[in-house]
Amino acid sequence: MSARIPDTHAEAWALLPWLANGRLASEDREWVEAHVQGCAECRAELAAQRLIDSHVSEDASPQSAGSDEQRSFNKLWARIEAAESAAAPIVGTGSATVPAPRSSRTVRWLAAAVVVQALGLGALGLAFNNGNRAGDDGIVTVTDTPATTGSRANAPTVTLVFEPGTSIGTINTLLTHQGLSIVAGPGASNNYQAELSADAVASGATADSVAAVMSKDPNVSLAEPVAK
Amino acid sequence: MPLQSVENLNSRALALPANDASERELLERIARSKDQGAFRTLYGNYYQRLSRLLSRMSVRHEDIEEVINDTFWVVWTKAAEFRGASQLSTWIIGIAYRRALNALRRAKLRPVADQPFDEDSVSVGSSEEDETNQQWLSLGLERLPVEQRMALELTYTLGHSCEEVAAILDCPVNTVKTRLFRARETLKQVLPQLAGMSGDKS
Repeated sequence: MSARIPDTHAEAWALLPWLANGRLASEDREWVEAHVQGCAECRAELAAQRLIDSHVSEDASPQSAGSDEQRSFNKLWARIEAAESAAAPIVGTGSATVPAPRSSRTVRWLAAAVVVQALGLGALGLAFNNGNRAGDDGIVTVTDTPATTGSRANAPTVTLVFEPGTSIGTINTLLTHQGLSIVAGPGASNNYQAELSADAVASGATADSVAAVMSKDPNVSLAEPVAK
Repeated sequence: MPLQSVENLNSRALALPANDASERELLERIARSKDQGAFRTLYGNYYQRLSRLLSRMSVRHEDIEEVINDTFWVVWTKAAEFRGASQLSTWIIGIAYRRALNALRRAKLRPVADQPFDEDSVSVGSSEEDETNQQWLSLGLERLPVEQRMALELTYTLGHSCEEVAAILDCPVNTVKTRLFRARETLKQVLPQLAGMSGDKS
């Protein structure tokens, strides 16, 4: 073995993974290779690194099928369309007659959903301003027969309670990301009912899955699917 | 004599950012005209890579999609802000890494690999040595702290250079070397085939 210069050996040793994976910078590769050729320890370590490399690469089998990828992308795209529709100016007040900014059925529905959601958020703002006086000022509660403007029969629905002090903007973002629209509330416990958009359902979202995601958010104190 | 390792590049090359220029073009189309087709292509280029990486970070299977979509939400909304100082893959994987870390720190996405190391779960009686080593390796990877695991995965599975790994993990190059050094030592403790390969260390 060649005379060892400690710093050189230590540095070469540290760089061996990138000699093994072929991504060592050319200016380092030459001297590291030269060192390894004369150093039994580094040769053994390089062999060990190549073994780890092959095992890790072998273990890198695909985690999911292509259908999962498409389903995931559909969810993301629905979220993007919902957010962009929400950000776009909406003309008119009747949800069924809102002109669609694009021609797709998806965007038309989402535009309608935004109006419904805006109504719900307005009610939410009133509720926050009035503390817990939910249900005593004409606002529909969960326990009442909810006003069903924009509501779809059998649409997956979740019950939501937000943490006190959660801003309207945050709530709006949370709802938009999940393809949810408030259709009723607040109830006696500041609870709301929110429906899943048709696109979210089409991309595989369910009341259970959305409730599971929402319940993880620190701004949400309760998220439960509503049995239909 | 040339070292075999230099020529022995494995199939990981498929996972490398093979064509950064073409991916940048996709990003430019997204930034310029909100091109859905370009966005879908870019998403497809990274879906498996990120799924694998997040799985190794012990993000639950059902939460991986959420982290990937959060990452590409950022790509969609911030495409115009990418300045090209780093490779596009470094930028995207770095976003995913930080998103996953935040999620794990909130303890909302509980790691799936919280179980103690159980040597009895390895079927050492298997006739297939490779299969046994694979089992040992999986257990060894689970023992690694997430930062070390990521340094190893980014180096070996995704084939990044040391500098790229440092950019993704947002840490100094020397920190990457240290993390990988420790990961290597840990794996040697659990991979029987490695135990006899390397003697005293530096």
